[in-house]
Amino acid sequence: MRFEPAQRMTLMTTDTKTALVRLEDVHLSFGRTEVLKGIDLAVNKGDAVSIIGPSGSGKSTILRCINALVQPQSGRITVGGTRVDQLTGESERIALRKRVGIVFQQYNLFPHLTVLDNIVLAPTRILGAGRPATEKLARELLEKVRLSDKENAYPGQLSGGQQQRVAIARALAMKPDLVLFDEVTSALDPETVGEVLWVIRDLIREGMTSILVTHEMRFAEEISDTVVFTENGRVVDHGTPQQIFHTSGNPRIRQFVGGFSGGRGEIRDGESI
Amino acid sequence: MPDFDVIDLFVSLTSRIGLNYEFLATGYEAQIWRDGFATTLYLILLLIPVSLVFGLFFAACLTSGRLWLSTPVRAFVELTRNTPTLVQLMFSFLVLNTFVSSLVGGTQNNPLSAFFWVVAVVGLHIAALHAEALRAGIEAVPAATVEAARAIGFSQLQVLRYVEVPLALRASLPAIVNNLINLVKLTTVGNAIAVSEITYASIMVWTQRDNVVSLMIVILLFFSLVNLIVARAGLWVERKLAVPGYGL
Repeated sequence: MRFEPAQRMTLMTTDTKTALVRLEDVHLSFGRTEVLKGIDLAVNKGDAVSIIGPSGSGKSTILRCINALVQPQSGRITVGGTRVDQLTGESERIALRKRVGIVFQQYNLFPHLTVLDNIVLAPTRILGAGRPATEKLARELLEKVRLSDKENAYPGQLSGGQQQRVAIARALAMKPDLVLFDEVTSALDPETVGEVLWVIRDLIREGMTSILVTHEMRFAEEISDTVVFTENGRVVDHGTPQQIFHTSGNPRIRQFVGGFSGGRGEIRDGESI
Repeated sequence: MPDFDVIDLFVSLTSRIGLNYEFLATGYEAQIWRDGFATTLYLILLLIPVSLVFGLFFAACLTSGRLWLSTPVRAFVELTRNTPTLVQLMFSFLVLNTFVSSLVGGTQNNPLSAFFWVVAVVGLHIAALHAEALRAGIEAVPAATVEAARAIGFSQLQVLRYVEVPLALRASLPAIVNNLINLVKLTTVGNAIAVSEITYASIMVWTQRDNVVSLMIVILLFFSLVNLIVARAGLWVERKLAVPGYGL
């Protein structure tokens, strides 16, 4: 099923007030290596934005900036009412991170905790939520990611796809305003990619504001409101999936997305979940 | 004591194979010896938690990334593991303790006993070794796991408490148990400053009775047994903490 792109006016050019996330001229270097060379990006509440582009183009770094895991040298980053680039001190960053969930390529679950405890730990310890209520929420989330039977398993006993779905549930347990997905299927074998994408697609349909760094071109095309193409630390182009994947006049983009034709990422009916 | 008969029997039986435990039938020397065992056990039971608590604290300082925390601890770790514990103990008791006495206006006002100095020196020495073992474990926690925890919103201290230390403990446990076994043996340095643990008590007895071998057998069996229990307990904890599907 495909969203109607026409129903959703796209970002950047439109309606600056409703943007939940906004990056303006963000520059970031690690040592002498310039990673981001003036990134502009805006994500409206409820939208799904995919960032695509070759490896090393700074995609993951953009997500890390939004979550204040790295601090840019210049530029403005706004999430909700928060100027992320101006945060100082740990407590301010924690306040931001409570609202911004992030899911990583390598899942990064806590290996010594059961699936349930992985999900429950942050809400109880960071938000001070009660244990019984949080467990109830965790079980609901496990049902949502189709892992109800695994609550007492340890991460090491799960497949990559299962671990990644737990990681998604763990992020959602904090009830974030926004979830960042950092190449969440890149470490998975082709058969388990589908089960993770399925969960993300459900989330996006429910209106979760999402920013995805992905190499799943078909998936990006299907679920995104906006696709952003980055290369060498710059946004080369952005637009609707139709514009980026099919009608782009930019030869570099056509070459890049053309290289993925017939690639994975498509979810067919009946694919193993 | 109701079991004088048992002791008499033991003394006469062991004397047939050339061992001399006659002092057990006396009041005073037997008391010194029993108290020696009690003191050693007390030292061990006190030192294990003391060394673990300070070891954890030192490891947290060493891995904090804050120089004002890590530098003094690093200096202490190097000092304590590179110099003989016996010398440290004598220095502490003969120099530091005297210094404290003069600060508080005389020995009679000094609350610090020889027993205290044994606990402090041995406890902090083993703590330094625990800290190095734990540091290795903390540094072995994948950076990505720590980043994920921070990204979720855990503070640095919470990451340490809920993620790094639980994982580090599992990795460091064999080394920590090794340190604890050393700790049990190291309590005997107390005899250098007249803390009447078991070797000190035994020396008191055998200088009078000339029964070194008889007492030595008991001392060796005693320490072997205690350390067997420590090692077994360590193994039990290791199994208890083992995570299914995880390498440690």
